[in-house]
Order: sequence, then C-alpha cells, then structure tokens
Amino acid sequence: MIVDCHTHWGKVWDDRDGGNPAQWLSILDGHGVDKAVFMGHTNFTRMDLCSQENDRLARTAAHCPNRLIPVGSCWPQLGDQGVAEARHCIEDLGMKGLKFHPWVQGFSTADPVLGSICRLAGDAGVPIFFHDGTPCYSLSEQIAGLARRFPRTRFVLAHAGLLWNWRSALLATRLDNIWICLCGPHARAMELLCSRADPQRILWGSDFGFGLADQIEYRLNLFLKTRIPRSLQDRILGTNAIDFLGLAQ
Amino acid sequence: MGDRSLTVDGYCTLGVDREYDLTESVLLEDMDCAGVDYAVIAPPDRYLAVRNREGNESILRAAHLHRDRFIAACSVNPWDGENAVQEFNRALSQGARMLVLHPLVQGFSANDELAFPLLDLAASQQVPVYVHTGPPGNSTPWQIADIAQCFPSLAIIMGHCGATDFWNDVPDAAAAAPNIYLESSLARPFHFARYMAAVGKQKGIIGSWAPLNNLPFEWDQMRKFLPPEVFLDTSGKNLLELLAKRGPL
Repeated sequence: MIVDCHTHWGKVWDDRDGGNPAQWLSILDGHGVDKAVFMGHTNFTRMDLCSQENDRLARTAAHCPNRLIPVGSCWPQLGDQGVAEARHCIEDLGMKGLKFHPWVQGFSTADPVLGSICRLAGDAGVPIFFHDGTPCYSLSEQIAGLARRFPRTRFVLAHAGLLWNWRSALLATRLDNIWICLCGPHARAMELLCSRADPQRILWGSDFGFGLADQIEYRLNLFLKTRIPRSLQDRILGTNAIDFLGLAQ
Repeated sequence: MGDRSLTVDGYCTLGVDREYDLTESVLLEDMDCAGVDYAVIAPPDRYLAVRNREGNESILRAAHLHRDRFIAACSVNPWDGENAVQEFNRALSQGARMLVLHPLVQGFSANDELAFPLLDLAASQQVPVYVHTGPPGNSTPWQIADIAQCFPSLAIIMGHCGATDFWNDVPDAAAAAPNIYLESSLARPFHFARYMAAVGKQKGIIGSWAPLNNLPFEWDQMRKFLPPEVFLDTSGKNLLELLAKRGPL
C-alpha cells in the first residue's frame, strides 16, 4: 500500500481533462501508488475562486473516492467567510483535511482568523497540511508555533522543511501534534529525519500534479533508494497515512 | 581531457562530518556504478565555515591520490579577509581547480562585496566559482546575476539552481549574464530539463551532491529526463571547458 500524502490537482490537468482524473491517476498507477491526498491549485492562488475550486476538487475526487482524498483550502483574509469555507469543506464536502500555503496565499500564521480555523479543525479532528520550509510566512518553526497554540489540532509539515529547513522540521517533531511529510528534503535528510523523528508521524509525498511532468518516478525512488530500513519505508508509505487519515485499507 | 564523452559530477562533498558520510572508496564505487569519470570534490560544511585549510588539505590529498578521478575544489570563508585570499592562493598552487562559496554556511550574502577579493582572484586565475544557492535571503539566483555582472570574466556556477524556492527566478537570472552556469543537484531532473530548455544546454552542469543524494540514482534520473544532446553537454563537456581555461587537468 502506497499513499502519496502530497499531490495536487493542477490547473493544467483541469484545463486539459475537465475534471476527469483518469489520466492523472494513470501516473499513480505507473508507480503502484494506491491513494493520494488530493490538494488543489487555484484555491491557493485565487481568493475569489477558492470556494468553487474546493467544490470542483471534491467533484473530481468523487470519480474515485477510494483513491483520492480531497483536501480543501480557504483564505483567512476573508474573515468569517474564510472560517465558513473551512467548515463547508469539512462538514459539507466531507474533506479529510485542510491545506494552506501561507507564502503563496499571502497571510501570516499569526492571523487571528487562521487561529479560528485551526481551532475548528481541531474540534472536527481534521488535520491541517501546511507548505513549510519557506520564509517569511511558511517556516517550519512558524507552523510549530501554531502547533503549540492549538495542541488539539494535528499539523502536517507538508515538505518536512524542504532542502534548507529540515533540521527545523526535525526539531518541530518534538511536538506530538506535528507530522512531517517527506516531500522535498534530499535523500540524506530523509534518512536522518527517519532515524530521529517519531516513526509513527512520518508520511511521504511527491508534490505531483502542479504540472504535467511525472514527479512520482523521481520522488518515490529517491525515498526507496535511501538507507531507511524497508520495514520503516513500508510504514511511512502506507500504514502511517492510513492511520493518520483514518482511511480504510 | 577534450574528449566529449567524458563525464564529470559537478559537485560532491567528500568527508565524514554531521550528515556527510562519503569516503573516497564509496565515491569511487558510486562513480563506477554511474559511469562517471571524474567528480569535483569539496569539503563538508564545517570546513567551509571554519578550519578552511584543514578541509582544503583533506580534499587536495584525496585529489592527488586519485588524480585520474577527483578534481579538487577548495573553499575559504570571506570573513577571513586577507587570510582567506592567501589560503585560496595556496590551495590553487596545490592543485585546486574550483572555489566553493556557501553563503548560508559561511554567513554572508552572495552579492556582498565581502567576497569580492576572492572573486577577483578567481577571475584572474581563471578558476570557476561554485556558489550554493537556494537558502532564502542570502543566496538566490538574482544575487548570482549581480556578481556575474560585476565579474564578467569569471565563470559562476549557480549550485542547485536556487532550489527549492527560487525556481521562478532561474531562467531570467541565468540569462542576465553569459558567465552564469547552472548546476543540477537538488534542482531535480524534471526542473533541470526545463531550465536547459529555457537557457540552453551550454549552461548546464550535472552534479549529484553526493552523499546528500544518491549519486548513481541522480545520474540515472538525469539520463532518463534529459534529451540525449542535453545530457551529452551537461554531463561533462561544459564543466571541462571551464576547468580547462586554467590549463589541462
């Protein structure tokens, strides 16, 4: 079982395939990836289109509900409307998570409305994925700051600190409501993260889908060719994600 | 050395310290496995930041022992002022063929005039300068463009192509000066292929940054992702031409 915990339904795919994920899924099939956390694209770049993009993402995922796990977004800058959209994603669309990209969306993790959304997600038992590793709004330390303030909410550092911030991501895992997704660090960093972080709170992801290029080939084999013990690799690729997201096998 | 078919890994870190664990024998084994003829070797981070001479000595010794496989890169910390210039000169006299600067580790901004005396010397000695890029704020593609324009006779290698966050900037920054070259490690093959299409294959240098990445895997992926004519030039020809300006290896 392989669960890719970081994918996107990119605008280029939607423009080309009109809401049909069959071709997109065929890339996953080529690498034996069974399920994918299915994040959006335009909902991070267009505040005005976010709500309709969340609905669209949910409809696209509904083509293959046993494989695609849609995760929505919203914009704290919209105040109560932003919180309402988070609630809509969770309660109406049945999404199993939220995703934020503060660097691209242009808000600070200190935004009080984001705090309300974190509280809502915690109450609903829904995790929040964050782009991390990038200043000035998306540092791993800043997400860890949210984890301190909202201990009942689970947070995913969706890039485990990327290439230059992975030691910060590692330090953040001392908070037991932080998960890391191995999607961005180099091979040696992945080995060290896996040797030192809680093995139950490590996920894997490819970031596939923003463009049409197959990134899974590289990202999956980068991970598989590390010296991380095979039993732990299997756990990271499958069991951890299943448990974390409460999925059926 | 003018042979077009020779392959050169543009950047490896040789030594054992913190996350680095690459010995000479393992590097040679990996090079053989990947069909790599030569590798540029540089010291681990600690010896870029402090104890420069110790790091340079270690690299020069390995390069002398394996002169048919390793090409020595030296480093000095610009904060060391005149001492840095002297050590750079000494390393050159002992056979170093490249200068490595790592603004994040060495604590300066890539376009800070602090490093200009070193760049002056590199230009006069026809030695290419490899600059690690990607850490936000102090080492970005446009900072490389600044120094390339200030030192037009100097070959500047943009290590890692600004990965991860500055991928947007790479094509325009690389086109800003003819003396900028792009090194592939951390940039990932699917992005590097795109950069080569944008700026031209004569500007590319394949590097693995072993041991942070798996050298045979990185080379295998480059062979898969790059068009054959691009691979041919970026896998050795371009870098060998830069190195040959100082004389035969």
